[in-house]
Amino acid sequence: MKDEGLVVREGNKGWQEGRAKNITFIVTKDCQLACKYCYLVGKNVQERMSWEIAKAAIDFVLNREDDPDFDYPSVIWDFIGGEPFLEIDLIEKICDYIKTELFSRNHRWFNSYRFSFSTNGINYDSEKVQRFIEKNKEHLSIGITIDGTQRKHDLNRVYKNSERGSYADVARNIPLWLEQFPGAGTKVTISSADIPYICESVLHLYKLGIRQVNINCVFEDVWSEDDDKLFEDQLILLADAIIDEDLYRGYSCSFFQEHLGHPMDCVYDNQNWCGAGKMLAVDAAGNFYPCTRFAQYSLRDKEAWIIGNIRDGIDKNKLRPFLTLDRCTQSTLECVNCEVAQGCAWCQGENFDAAKTHTVFERSTAICKMHKARVRANNYYWNKLYRKLEKS
Amino acid sequence: MKKLVGQVTPEEKNEIQTLFERRNGLNELAKILTVDNSDLYEKLVRDLGETGTKFQSWWDSMSKKYRWESAANGNWEINFETCEIFLITPES
Amino acid sequence: MLQYLSILLDDTSVAYCHADNPLTERYLIPLETLRKAILFGMKENLMIQYVYPDYELQEEYNALIESIDHVKIGRDVVVYNEVPKKITAENAVLRLSIADFIAKQYDIAVLLPQIARLNICLTDIETFKDEQIEEYQKALTTLNTVLLDQYKSGNRPQLSILTDRLQLKEMHNCGAGDTNIIVAPNGKFYLCPAFYYDEQTGINNRLNHHNPTSERSVGDLENGLQIPNPQLLKLDRAPLCRICDAYQCNRCIWLNQKLTWDINTPSHQQCVIAHLERNATRDLQRKLFDAGFAIENEIKEITYLDPFDVRKNIN
Repeated sequence: MKDEGLVVREGNKGWQEGRAKNITFIVTKDCQLACKYCYLVGKNVQERMSWEIAKAAIDFVLNREDDPDFDYPSVIWDFIGGEPFLEIDLIEKICDYIKTELFSRNHRWFNSYRFSFSTNGINYDSEKVQRFIEKNKEHLSIGITIDGTQRKHDLNRVYKNSERGSYADVARNIPLWLEQFPGAGTKVTISSADIPYICESVLHLYKLGIRQVNINCVFEDVWSEDDDKLFEDQLILLADAIIDEDLYRGYSCSFFQEHLGHPMDCVYDNQNWCGAGKMLAVDAAGNFYPCTRFAQYSLRDKEAWIIGNIRDGIDKNKLRPFLTLDRCTQSTLECVNCEVAQGCAWCQGENFDAAKTHTVFERSTAICKMHKARVRANNYYWNKLYRKLEKS
Repeated sequence: MKKLVGQVTPEEKNEIQTLFERRNGLNELAKILTVDNSDLYEKLVRDLGETGTKFQSWWDSMSKKYRWESAANGNWEINFETCEIFLITPES
Repeated sequence: MLQYLSILLDDTSVAYCHADNPLTERYLIPLETLRKAILFGMKENLMIQYVYPDYELQEEYNALIESIDHVKIGRDVVVYNEVPKKITAENAVLRLSIADFIAKQYDIAVLLPQIARLNICLTDIETFKDEQIEEYQKALTTLNTVLLDQYKSGNRPQLSILTDRLQLKEMHNCGAGDTNIIVAPNGKFYLCPAFYYDEQTGINNRLNHHNPTSERSVGDLENGLQIPNPQLLKLDRAPLCRICDAYQCNRCIWLNQKLTWDINTPSHQQCVIAHLERNATRDLQRKLFDAGFAIENEIKEITYLDPFDVRKNIN
């Protein structure tokens, strides 16, 4: 769509995509919410990161400027939980220390860093969070998760213990968030129960002023028999609304992408989907993981894949499977030969958790029928949009 | 008003983007560093001056090289994704 | 495709590969289990290898064992856990630590004129440090010198880590679970004896996670083989090994899962040792060529010791 690039809004690319080392601090495993689709099966209030662990992790990373695994021009310091902003005091101290150390060490990352957050948005307007934002505004990437209409959001995103929906407490912070980060996008998660609300939810988020909706189905094996048909119907409704109301000009929804649903080549198109193993996550115990999804609180059936810790460093043997992963080696023959493979995602952590053996080389295919439904709706979307643009 | 007035090379864009990022980093560091930490504070002050100078000289040399359109109350802006230069002037 | 069935006749059967056998209490395979194992091998058209303990078996066992073509490990193939003064068997396995291999290189060299084939098995690969590269290289050079003299004098002794690669044009590895399978005295299948040892000693199980015990079997004689994710035991599903030409490497999957936690991914240690051997074989090949021997299978010069360092665009 190059010729029409001015009229069709494309989704934002990630900052320094592929050029930034991602360091993730699991600052807490606690959250105000107990979302029903959450993959974090081991949340708890005890595992909160201490300043000593955080500082040691930062020192460990910054002392590795010559290590090829840390040889990136940029860095993203990612903070997750649970809910990261529950630990705003610690986060502020961490960020202050990082900035000071990068500068005093003349580290190359001083010229190219971001602090990134994925938050439930509940305490976004608190004084402490706002003070932190003010201090670090130019280096922040903050995503607030709001799942759509109140009925969809509150179906899954409920307070722990009370089961009360959190929509109202999140929605009130959206205007402030968008004022501070006008281009920000939200992340919407689809599980089986909320398929009927996809269309209304995306449109609702557009109405709230969120121009970029990143949306995906959960990777776990949760889908019922006709979910793919319901899903396809919802996406067709959404496609009609976006096109008929000319919303494609100013808004994007990640379900609809131009290059999606084509066969893929095992030589030229063989990359792994995500950066597991290239990123480094650290938790409250000071243990390192290839991605947060390999920490114990994320795993149902498997032991955590700990690759080292702040004291002993990284056991690089434990990273070798991740750094040699490619698409075809971990895929079934059906996936390799799939006619609509392009854009079919997987989560390395879910693959590992669902695998029959202790491996990251067994791709979970629970999402297969949902991807195929998405491809059909996506084809419909682009065919309809091309036709409209040709006529206009 | 925002008007496209030119474009720089990706290498030139990288130069100003690095300076831009550094200046932002220095400004945010300035919010937390105090004179108590005198060595680092002095280093920061020096760096702010040097980075500001390099920043300005990039715009000076590029505008000379490409002869971009200018305006009395206007200023130029760069789009880091496209390398395009825009002239921004107040709405009259 | 499966080709070999190894039957552990007793829990104390001799260890013949990387892993030591920690089991000290005798448990002889029941006669009926042995009969079923042999039957399985016959029906699947597998070559049978019996792995012997250090004591003599009763006549009824011997009669059953002799009912089918086979190889006796611990008898026909003699296993040494230290360097012997003399080797009389045609085919022997010498199991040593890396330090012992280096320290006893001259004693091993003396054995070469006596043997038809000697398999070297290092028992502590996981402890190998890059600082030992030079010493290990030197030991291989020592053995090469004797091998060259032997070739010149018309003998062709086989030393697994140095002469196998002279002939190999493709990977020829251990093949656990792919070309080889084990039956233990309990009547269950294992990918190799090391997995059985781990199970019996309760070593943490990272392979069969669904079983909270240390169960590591992959089927039994009653219900047949049930190897989970068998495709991961194939070369084409091993991203590092399939681009590698250290064809003589054991590609020990037990070491893989122990050190990298993924059965298809070799450790740095295993790769470096295999490449030191491969490169030493190349030296031997060049010297043989200079001495007038025909070379059919030229080993190329390479600049790395670990294919992980030269993997490209695969992730």
